[in-house]
Amino acid sequence: MLKKRLFAAVPAVALTVGLLAGCSGNNGNSGEEASGSASAGAGKDKVEISVWLTPQWKGAFDSTESDADYDSFFKYAADKFVKQYDKYDAKINVQVIAGDQRDELLNVNLNGGTPPDVFFESVFAMGDYAHRGALVPLNDIVDDAAKSDIAQGYWDNVTFGNDIYFYPFSNNPGTLAYNADMFRAAGLDSFVGGESEIKTWTLDEYNQILEALKTKLPKDKYSNAYPMALYALNNQGDTWNLAYLRMFGNKFFDDQGNIVLDDENGVKAAEWLRNLYKSGYTNPGAESVSSNDANAMFLNQQLAVSFTNPVLFNNAKADMAAGKAPKFDVRLANIPSVSGDPLTFTYVVGASVFKTGDDKRTEVAKDFVKFFSSDPELVKASKNSIPVRSSVISEFKDQFPLFEAYDKNSAHLFSFTGNVPGYSELRQVLYPELQAMYIGEKTPAEAVKDYQAKGNEVIQKARQNSVLNK
Amino acid sequence: MKLRNPYLKENLTGYLFILPQTLLFLLFIVYPIIEGIRLSFYKVQFQKETFVGFDNYSALFSDPIFFKAVGNTVVFVVFIVLLTVIFSLFVASAVFDKNAKYVSFIRGSYYIPVMVSMVVMSMIWSFLLNPANGLISFTARQLDLSTVNLLGDKKLVLPVVIFVTFATNVGQAIILYIASMIGVPKDLFEAAEVDGASRLKVIFRILIPLVKPTTIYITIINIIAVLKIFVVIQMLTGGGPNNASVTLMYYLYNNAFKYNQLGIASAVGVIMFVITLLLSVPQLRALFKDK
Repeated sequence: MLKKRLFAAVPAVALTVGLLAGCSGNNGNSGEEASGSASAGAGKDKVEISVWLTPQWKGAFDSTESDADYDSFFKYAADKFVKQYDKYDAKINVQVIAGDQRDELLNVNLNGGTPPDVFFESVFAMGDYAHRGALVPLNDIVDDAAKSDIAQGYWDNVTFGNDIYFYPFSNNPGTLAYNADMFRAAGLDSFVGGESEIKTWTLDEYNQILEALKTKLPKDKYSNAYPMALYALNNQGDTWNLAYLRMFGNKFFDDQGNIVLDDENGVKAAEWLRNLYKSGYTNPGAESVSSNDANAMFLNQQLAVSFTNPVLFNNAKADMAAGKAPKFDVRLANIPSVSGDPLTFTYVVGASVFKTGDDKRTEVAKDFVKFFSSDPELVKASKNSIPVRSSVISEFKDQFPLFEAYDKNSAHLFSFTGNVPGYSELRQVLYPELQAMYIGEKTPAEAVKDYQAKGNEVIQKARQNSVLNK
Repeated sequence: MKLRNPYLKENLTGYLFILPQTLLFLLFIVYPIIEGIRLSFYKVQFQKETFVGFDNYSALFSDPIFFKAVGNTVVFVVFIVLLTVIFSLFVASAVFDKNAKYVSFIRGSYYIPVMVSMVVMSMIWSFLLNPANGLISFTARQLDLSTVNLLGDKKLVLPVVIFVTFATNVGQAIILYIASMIGVPKDLFEAAEVDGASRLKVIFRILIPLVKPTTIYITIINIIAVLKIFVVIQMLTGGGPNNASVTLMYYLYNNAFKYNQLGIASAVGVIMFVITLLLSVPQLRALFKDK
């Protein structure tokens, strides 16, 4: 009997051991396999690193390439890097992650001790990780050639405390996009700018445009269409909402890095937004519409004016050319302001290196970042947005006349993050207040006041926790 | 090696069989619970953990959104569980004694949404309800009705989420009730028929009392599931408008993964664990007593 039972028990034990082995087998991440083992062929140590990016441009250099996708550039760069790299036998795994899942994924992986080695993303969204001490300074991979080719303004943008934490690659200025066909249909021909122009309207003109789009747009041709995109479901695309709040002259942050939205001009801007919404100049349900929804509606010709940046703009044009989206005449305009000067901001995009605790991986990650951010061929991919390197701009300026328009605009740039710590959490404070304002739960003045109070609390807390201030 | 203890020898195989599950249970359930309790007393930063006593709990109790999350979660639990139990009892008692093919058809129809991922269901509902380009809003506009944003109205958003969750999950309760009702001895119904009892009387006096263990089971699993309600909120409302639909689990998620406040998130987790435990103990006791 016992024999029989023992006979049954053996598979049970084997199963347990198997399961546990399975668990521990999965525990190792790419890094653990990485260090140490010498590869037989080349005689070099094998090092595996992971590169994460949020969707930027499609294709290695151009979205018209066959099989162009968001990871094409990094796969191409990794391949080129590995072929010429002589320190280690490197392997680079590229992964695209959704922009709205970035913080969730990074926090989970940071807390679990498995951060990616390299992350390519807009700097404003990543600054908090520098404050938290999760990033490796990149000062040693930035040489004089790079410093002279990339303007100082960009270096200021990626410097936290005394160190550089991101290698600038390109930048994405935020503007408005408009459907020139819809403008013409509403009799707004005189407001349509040139194809290579970023049109600047005064605030009065902009109000006239919205009025005409609301009343004169032929309903048979554009059914269910609205003048302007407005969204507040989450923090995606919130920089445009931040820009709208500055339209009446509020400067948003004071010199100490505290929010000062709660003044006459800040409230006026919030009232302007609320009135647009309530009077039907925007898509309905802004409180539960996301920027993605708004962008999709714009591409579907359901919105005449929406938000954009060079990557979104180029992707939209490429989709239209490829027949994936309805074709229309899409052009650029600035966010107007009461002073008449346009409001413009830019996202500097670049790579950062996370602390993984493995020196070899950090070394390879830094070498890879330096390689793709300075290789004369690879940096040309920055033409998909706006290059940060003057050498690339001068090479492509005839081919892309908009580069000059963006350059002219840069005189009106404002720093939307104010370089404050806790910016990621600060972003979570704005949209609930906008929602409360749109559904009428709070007046614009109350929403602005509450945002300022909650926002300053977040900044204060993050300032205390920042490792850069110690 | 020879085992001396005859009792241990007798049960060795049994223990070996439950060993894998026990080890996994200790590793993936008990250890995280203990770690969660520990973290709730710490301020967790990337480079260090600092013991802060009950600071995380006091931060929670001074946050109005936490109380809103508690209130919303209670509303969800009460209404979704009540709706599920009442509706599935109604459907199951109406069809359980009909012909087998018909019963299978009903079971299948209600169970399909359970099989579809909650994420997919939420996306479909989101497509229907989106105020700007959703089908429901579009139809309302075509019919010249005023724009109704079911997800953007503080009074409507909770009923909508309750309905979506209920509609997606009710199939499981129906299946359990039908199985349980089919198992009720036929002679009881025959005796009731001989005594001239009406269908309603049969349902209320025989069927419902006899499927009580199933009712308790459905209530417990639904309470626990709804306490953790998250996917619908994340996909459909994002906790909005202005936190009107935020739940405990969503609040925990935001703190843990968006705001990186692991200590506070762990404190929410501990509170949810205690609530679930308190709710489950009397119900489990009743279940075991009945058996």
